[in-house]
Amino acid sequence: MGGGWSVVSWFEKLRGRRTGAGNRVVILSHGFGTDQDAWTSLRPWFEARFDVVSFDLAGCGPMGAESYDFERHGSMFGYADDLVELMDELGLQGCTYVGHSMSCMIGAAAASARPDLFEQIVMIGGSPRYLNDADYVGGFEQENLDQLFESMAANYQAWVAGFAPIVVGVDDREAVADFSRTLFQMRPDIALNTSRTIFESDMRQAVLRVATPVHLIQTSSDVAVPIQVGEWLAGAISNASLDIIDAAGHLPHITAPAEVIRILERRLG
Amino acid sequence: MIPTFSEALYELCGFARVACDAALVMALEVDDAGRATPVASSPPHHFTGFNLDRSGVFDTGWSHLPLAADSFRLPTAVVHALPDRPASLLFVPAPVDHAPKSGLLLFWTTIPPTAPLIQHVPLLASSVANTLMTRREAARQMAMRDQFNDLLDSVPSGIVLFDGDGQSAVINQRAADLLAAMPGPHRARDLAAPMRALRARCDNHAALDTAYAAHVGNVNYAVSMHWIVGERTYEVDTHPVSGDGQHGRIWLFTDVTAELQLSARLRGLADSDSLTGLSNRRYFEQRSAQIITAAQGDGRGIAILMVDVDHFKQINDTYGHPVGDEVLKAVAARCQEALREHDLIARFGGEEFVVLLATSGNDEAGMVAERLRQAIARVPIAVGDVDITVSVSIGAATRDALDGNDRNVLQMLVARADSALYDAKRDGRNCVRISPGT
Repeated sequence: MGGGWSVVSWFEKLRGRRTGAGNRVVILSHGFGTDQDAWTSLRPWFEARFDVVSFDLAGCGPMGAESYDFERHGSMFGYADDLVELMDELGLQGCTYVGHSMSCMIGAAAASARPDLFEQIVMIGGSPRYLNDADYVGGFEQENLDQLFESMAANYQAWVAGFAPIVVGVDDREAVADFSRTLFQMRPDIALNTSRTIFESDMRQAVLRVATPVHLIQTSSDVAVPIQVGEWLAGAISNASLDIIDAAGHLPHITAPAEVIRILERRLG
Repeated sequence: MIPTFSEALYELCGFARVACDAALVMALEVDDAGRATPVASSPPHHFTGFNLDRSGVFDTGWSHLPLAADSFRLPTAVVHALPDRPASLLFVPAPVDHAPKSGLLLFWTTIPPTAPLIQHVPLLASSVANTLMTRREAARQMAMRDQFNDLLDSVPSGIVLFDGDGQSAVINQRAADLLAAMPGPHRARDLAAPMRALRARCDNHAALDTAYAAHVGNVNYAVSMHWIVGERTYEVDTHPVSGDGQHGRIWLFTDVTAELQLSARLRGLADSDSLTGLSNRRYFEQRSAQIITAAQGDGRGIAILMVDVDHFKQINDTYGHPVGDEVLKAVAARCQEALREHDLIARFGGEEFVVLLATSGNDEAGMVAERLRQAIARVPIAVGDVDITVSVSIGAATRDALDGNDRNVLQMLVARADSALYDAKRDGRNCVRISPGT
């Protein structure tokens, strides 16, 4: 990589896509195991109102192996740097940022380091820390995570087959198939390293520094993010709203788009 | 080793931070493309790599004066490692060959920093660079050693490597198993005894001692020998290698037991007839040529017997081919039993067998032939429930006192024995006829 960065733009490298009729810019950043196609159901709503920029996170999408750097992306800040590079390159400022899952904390890290880039942030199913810690409920114990990493490393195919339906959380065959497909698209070593980076991260300090208004959305039953996490975020961020959708699963933007749009109408509209 | 050098950098960072009242000091190894590896920081903080190429840090001419932070694009990790938003920063370049953009990066959260010692910080540059260099070299050597050890243990042979200095040696796991020693580095002299003990345990140690003794005093000898240790055979290859001094030496122990067994089996398969287990015609011709050459050498004679099963077609027609095959096997076994160890028998084709006797004279050949005939005819051959009476006809031909001028001896003898066999058939079968003359 290195020297190549100045030659290939970040927009190109992360397979950036820019569509829509609005003046205000919205950035759509997907979560672990999906790619920017995860926004397909919500995109028309955004396109009618915004200038929409989406991209694939490093390690994800069809060019994931090229965009991923085991050193740089060994921390959430590496992804935040990618986001800042992309936004600076496009000359964007004061954007609306919509992140799902790991992209929530990427947005938080970027927004607290570069507040000028963000006007408001939507976090769908975000968590600053997955491990339980004293009074903090993250939903996972270390042994849960060790098991997860072990089974990912042992047989990625089998792991995906078990992981996808649990994360989707609802009986939506198409969503499970799509999620499985994008998980399979990831190189297994990159997927393992990415999930380590996510599940072992503690972004609570970064969250506490976020001054940008944040709209939190999560479902009432999400295997990755207990309701307490949403409540913690709402309490930690000085200017936050929390909407709990009465639905299940970690991917409501895919499995319950109408519900999510209803909230977006109210918060962003 | 690496932690030690990193520790020195941590102390340098700590010293700079206290001296300059900075919020954060980082020692960075940065390559030409701006890829930065944070090697140490004060306060200590775990950083993963980031890129400073477009940060503006390298586009600035630095003196000892800190500059306002808002004109730089800083990695988010750095911003988050600070207790508050960065107000100013100072870069102290400490270029090293492999990472020309390396240096110390200092941050303050107040403007302007007032510590009087800041102007002296650039004096740390050479210390930082030297430590980065030493650390890099240590890391490189450690990586090379790791790589070498991986390589050493991935080779399917035992390896004993004596360094050229004559002092040190290293052995891998397989060699350690053979020598009953620990894998890894050893003093060279500590390995001499186990090496000698292993050789002494070999079934062929006397031959080995003689073979190696021939090379005593020659530092450049290269030899490959089989060391037979009980049921295992090792191909032991030794040759000089260039080491630190001049005369390093490597010993490679490769277990070739399975290989030898396999090749012996394959050779056996290629040389034998699959039905009867006797030698085949190809092997017979090859081996008899050797015997004839030897006989020519010391003037001995040889005899050929052609043995043919009587009325074999009838046996096949009556009982079927599977039974015919069993009969051939039984005939072969009886012949083999009736012969002496140094006689050579082979299936010549169909129901015909050929025997080469290291013998002299028609009398002896006739006696052996008669013994064969009786061995077949005396008792019927039992195949399953049926007893089959079988006989053979035999033609014999001998050649006394071979000399070097005899050409195509085998061909000639076979032709004569064949003709005698024809006589035996014509004379009513189940008998022996000897070709006249020698």
